[in-house]
Amino acid sequence: MKALDIEQLTKTFGTLSAVEDLSLSVEEGSIYGFIGPNGSGKTTTMRMIMNIIYPDRGSIRVLGKTSDGARLENVGYMPEERGLYKKMKLRELLLFYGELRGGRSVDAEVDSWLERFDLTSRAREKLETLSKGMSQKVQFIATIIPRPDLLILDEPFTGLDPVNADIIREVLLDLHAQGTTIILSTHDMHLAETLCNRICMIFRGRKVLDGSLQEIQQEFGQDTVRLRTADGSSVLRDLPGVEKVLDLGQEQELRLAREADPQQVLKELVRRTRVLGFEIARPSLHDIFVRIAGPGAEEGKP
Amino acid sequence: MKRVLQIIKREYLASVRTKGFIIGLVLAPLVMSGSALAMWLLSGHVDTEDKTIAVVDRSGILADTLVRKAEERNAEAVYDSLTGEKKRPAYLIEIVRPDGADPEGQTLRLSDRVRRGDLHAFVVIGEAVLHPPGDEENARISYHAKAAAIDEIRGWMNGTINWRLRHWRLSEAGIDGSDAEEVFWWVPVDPMGLMSQDTETGAVKTAERTTEAQALIPAAVLFFLMFIMVMMGAVPQLYAVVEEKSQRIAEVLLGLVTPLQFMAGKVLGGLAVSLTGSGVYLIGGILFFTTLGLDDHIPFHVLPWFVIYMVLNVVMLGAAYSALGSACSDPKDAQSIGFPAMLPVLIPMFLVAPVLRQPESAVATWASLFPPFTPTLMVLRMALPQGVPAWQPWAGLAGICLTAVLAVWAAGRVFRVGLLVQGKAPKLGTMIRWAISG
Repeated sequence: MKALDIEQLTKTFGTLSAVEDLSLSVEEGSIYGFIGPNGSGKTTTMRMIMNIIYPDRGSIRVLGKTSDGARLENVGYMPEERGLYKKMKLRELLLFYGELRGGRSVDAEVDSWLERFDLTSRAREKLETLSKGMSQKVQFIATIIPRPDLLILDEPFTGLDPVNADIIREVLLDLHAQGTTIILSTHDMHLAETLCNRICMIFRGRKVLDGSLQEIQQEFGQDTVRLRTADGSSVLRDLPGVEKVLDLGQEQELRLAREADPQQVLKELVRRTRVLGFEIARPSLHDIFVRIAGPGAEEGKP
Repeated sequence: MKRVLQIIKREYLASVRTKGFIIGLVLAPLVMSGSALAMWLLSGHVDTEDKTIAVVDRSGILADTLVRKAEERNAEAVYDSLTGEKKRPAYLIEIVRPDGADPEGQTLRLSDRVRRGDLHAFVVIGEAVLHPPGDEENARISYHAKAAAIDEIRGWMNGTINWRLRHWRLSEAGIDGSDAEEVFWWVPVDPMGLMSQDTETGAVKTAERTTEAQALIPAAVLFFLMFIMVMMGAVPQLYAVVEEKSQRIAEVLLGLVTPLQFMAGKVLGGLAVSLTGSGVYLIGGILFFTTLGLDDHIPFHVLPWFVIYMVLNVVMLGAAYSALGSACSDPKDAQSIGFPAMLPVLIPMFLVAPVLRQPESAVATWASLFPPFTPTLMVLRMALPQGVPAWQPWAGLAGICLTAVLAVWAAGRVFRVGLLVQGKAPKLGTMIRWAISG
C-alpha cells in the first residue's frame, strides 16, 4: 500500500506558483527525502499533505484515505518552525500533544521517551527553562507520541548538535524498523544520501528528481572523478576534458565532459603533478543538487 | 470532540492557574466584601470629639438661635439615652463679634485658628440674609472649614439657619410662629413598588418601599459582571492567538487538529473561564446578600438570561477576537487593533447613563436589541424595576444567536487562513475576503 499518493497537486499564492502539477507516491515503510532549495515548495507540499492549507488542484491520499479536512491520528507532523507553549511543563506538554493526536492516555510512552532522550529529570520544569537543543528534542518527542504510521518532518535536523542529531537519527531508524513511513525534508545532502530510500527534489514548485539514490545517480551517469594530488587544485586549471572543478580542500571533484576519456584526464594529471588518489564515481547528491539548482544550472538536465 | 475537550482543558488550566486569575477572581470579591464590611464596622465608630464653631453674625439675628439649637441638639443627640455612652460630637457655638473695620483680617484670623485646631470651623452670616432679594451680595452665608464641602455640620447649619429665617419672615408677615411648624412640614414622596395579586389565592401582596440604590445597584452589578466576564473569557483570545502564531505553536497544533477544532477549543476554554468567574461571583453574591437578609433585592428572574447571554457573548466575541488574533503577525499588531476591537465591549459602557435614565426610551430599546450590545444592555434594562416587555429578551436572544453563529462561521474561515499568513497585518477588506472565500 502507498503511504502517500499525490496526483497533479497545484497551489498558487497570488501570482506565485508554489507547487505545480506535482505527482509522487511514497511506499509504506520507506524513508522518503524531500530536497530542494529554499522556497521551492517543500513546506507548502507538506502543509497540503497535512491539510493545513488546501490545494488549488490535485488529490492527496494519506495512508489510503483521501484528504477530507480531518486530522489523521496516525500521522505525526513536525513543522520547520518549532512551537511549544513555553509556560507549560515538559511532561504536561507531551501528554497534551500526545493525547490530542492519539485520543488516549500516553503516560507510559511519554515517560519512556523522556528517559530515552535523557529528559526525565527535567520533566516537571517549564519549557522556557530548557535550552534550544532540548526544546527541539521535546518537539520531536511530541511528534512521535503515540507512534505514528506516517511521520512527516520538515527539516528535523536543523540546529541540532551532532550528538542530538545522532539520537534523532537512531530513533528515526528504530521507528522505521517498526514500520513507520518517514517523509522528511532536508538541506543536508549527505543525510539524504545515507538515510533515505528514495529522494525527491522539488525545484520552483515542480518535481525534478524522484527515485533511489542509485537511480538518480545513474540518470546523471558516471562523469565524476574524485581526486587527490600533491599540488591541490592549482594544477587543475584548463585540464582537457574537464567541465567543472569542485575544490573541497584536501580533495577535488572533477565533472568530465560528455565525451571525455577518464584515462586521458589521468594521463594529463600525471604529467602535471603527483596523483595521490583517482576514483571514477557517480556524482554526489550535493553535486546533482547544485547542477539543478545552482547559478546558471539547467533545470533537471543530467 | 475529544480533541476539542483537550484544548478546552489546556486553555482553561492555562488561564485559571495564573496569578492574575486567582487574584482577580478570589481576592477581588474578598477585597470588595472586606471594604464593605470595614465601612459597615466603621460606620458605628464616628468621631465624638466636640466641635467648636465660631459664628460671625453680621445680621445680628441668628447667633443666639444657633447657640440655643446647638444646646438642644447636644442634649438630645450626643449621648445614648440608655447607656449614657457618647455617640456623637457636641456642637459648641462661639459667637464672634463682627469686625466691621477689617472683615478680611477677621476671616484670616479665624482661618488660622481653624488651621491650628482651636476651631473646627467658622460661619460668616451676611447682614442681609433676612431679605436677600436685591442685596444678594450681602445675603451670603459662608461656612469655612478644612473640608467644608463634605462636613456634616454644614448641613446642620443650613437647616437651622434657614428654619430660623423662615420663622422671622413669617413673623414679619404677621403669621404666628406656632403655626410655622405645620407650614414648613415636609412631606416626602416615597418610592414604592407595585402591588400584586396572586392569581391562584387572590392574596394581595403589598407594594414595598424602594430606594434609588436598591433599584439601580443590582442592574449595574449585572452589567459590570457581564463586562468583566467578556474581559476574562473573550478578550484574552486576541493576545493568546497572536502569541501562538508568533511562537509557531499554531502550525504544530494544526498538524493535530483542524482549525475549527483549534478555535472551538480556545473559545470554549475562554467560556469555561467566564463561567467559572461568573459562577463564583454570582454564587458568592447571592450567599452574601442572603446572609445579610437582602435577598429580596437580587433579580433572580434575570439570572438565567444573564447566563445565556453571557455564554453567547463570550462565544461570539471570543471567536471574533481569535480571528483577529490570527490575522496579526506579532503582539504589536494586536495592540494596534486592540482598541477598535474593544469597541463592541466599550460602547455599552457609554450608554449606561442614558439607559438608566430612560430605560424604556427608543434609544435604550434599539441599543439593547443591537446584537453586540444585547447581552450587556438588555440585562441592565431587565434588572431595573420597570423591566422590559416580554418579547424583547427573546428578540435579543434571536439576534445574538444569529450573530454568534455568523461570527463563529466567519471567524473560523479567517482563522484558518490568517494563522499561516506572516508579514504585514491584513486589512479589514482582506479579512472579509478570507471569510467569504475561505
